[in-house]
Amino acid sequence: MNDPLIVCRCEEITEEEIREAIRQGAHSLEELKRHLRVGMGPCQGRTCGPLIIRLLCQELQRSPESFSEWRKRPPLKPVTVGSLIPKGDV
Amino acid sequence: MSSDNHFDSIIVGGGIIGLSTACALSRMGERVAVIERKYLGSGSTGRCIGGLRQQFSTAASITLMQENMAMFAAMNDEFGFPVEFKASGYLLLAHNEGTWSTFQKNVALQQSLGLKVTLLSPAECKKLVPHLCTDDLIGAAHCPSDGQAFPFAVIRGYRQAIEKAGGTIFTHRPVTRIRTENSFTLTIHTGENIHSEKVLITAGPWTAELMKDIGIELPLYPERHEAVISERLPKFLGPMLVDYRTDGCYFQQLESGQIIGCYTPHPNVPGINEEVSFDFLPQVARRMARLVPALENVSLLRHWSGSYTMTPDGNPIVDESPIKNLYIAAGMCGHGFMLAPAIGKHLAIRMTEGIWQRNFSEFALDRSFSGQETLK
Repeated sequence: MNDPLIVCRCEEITEEEIREAIRQGAHSLEELKRHLRVGMGPCQGRTCGPLIIRLLCQELQRSPESFSEWRKRPPLKPVTVGSLIPKGDV
Repeated sequence: MSSDNHFDSIIVGGGIIGLSTACALSRMGERVAVIERKYLGSGSTGRCIGGLRQQFSTAASITLMQENMAMFAAMNDEFGFPVEFKASGYLLLAHNEGTWSTFQKNVALQQSLGLKVTLLSPAECKKLVPHLCTDDLIGAAHCPSDGQAFPFAVIRGYRQAIEKAGGTIFTHRPVTRIRTENSFTLTIHTGENIHSEKVLITAGPWTAELMKDIGIELPLYPERHEAVISERLPKFLGPMLVDYRTDGCYFQQLESGQIIGCYTPHPNVPGINEEVSFDFLPQVARRMARLVPALENVSLLRHWSGSYTMTPDGNPIVDESPIKNLYIAAGMCGHGFMLAPAIGKHLAIRMTEGIWQRNFSEFALDRSFSGQETLK
């Protein structure tokens, strides 16, 4: 038996969990996110997004272009609360 | 879509209200279909921050939320997996005399209805939340049994429960037309028709549009609200903090460790709008750090937006429409997630047995809409 392969490192979600969720009907990144919380951690899906699209392609026999990417939202990379506040404004 | 497209009830909208109602109906043995334009929770539900509170200003909302809290508390057992429910409490903060006197009035009413809520001094607040900055604070209202749950988990629980009870869920199928003759025929975007004896429209900010097509105008006004979430942190904040100043905000630490927060924009941003604004992040950062300075070193990961569907009096519309057997549940005013379990239960009884098991007159379609919920 192989060790479980972690695909979403931030939320520690494995390849098998993702394949199983796809088989249960989550046929897009947005639905997988809501089912497993993949892509919700500090990297916001930059690392796992392309990997999960490959799993979707394999499971559903579709091309990568047929899947939408996750919606990108600010601040894109983690930013501290303090650095967002203009100096002397607190 | 299945070959048999006839159902007892069709629910238009796969948000939390539609799912909880479909769950209750299918458990009563009704043949139910949920039709969702995108995926479940893709509207307001999947964008909300998951707060659950009983501290409202009218008896109808307070008692309905007391019923809801008990239903959320039972969900782990009901669904067989954790929905991240926690009675972490809500601490409503008054920084001016007007807000403070509103709290005093509301707390008297809440206590008379059996809710365990107390008014706290700034020193007592500091004891409860050691990281709270109490500058300019007059006092606060604290309800320890208010709390939180994870919307994605609750959606999943309802989905599984509906399917287990024999209900059908159609996703990625926008309804393009509703015909009302003796029974109902709904046309989806592919041109397919499905039929039912009863229909519930619970399509969040899209409800008004759907109803207008069949000649019913509803006082529903979607507006955009934005939210932010941080990295996961060890537990250090207790209750949801609600700062009622016009430049205030509200945030809590989730069971999963992240800080999640919002503020109410002034003036409001009308319309269905899923874009985010440039102003929000610096504003929310300043407002959150003013209350809890220790947050300055916390990293924010994501900022998004969703719709509050408002009504003129701040209460939802949950009623049968002037067309018999056509029901509406909309205008949740930002409280749909917390209101959903009990609204679904009572609406299911109303749709099958024709009676309200509790008084829903404050949510009636023919009310005057002249009152005002003071704890928005």
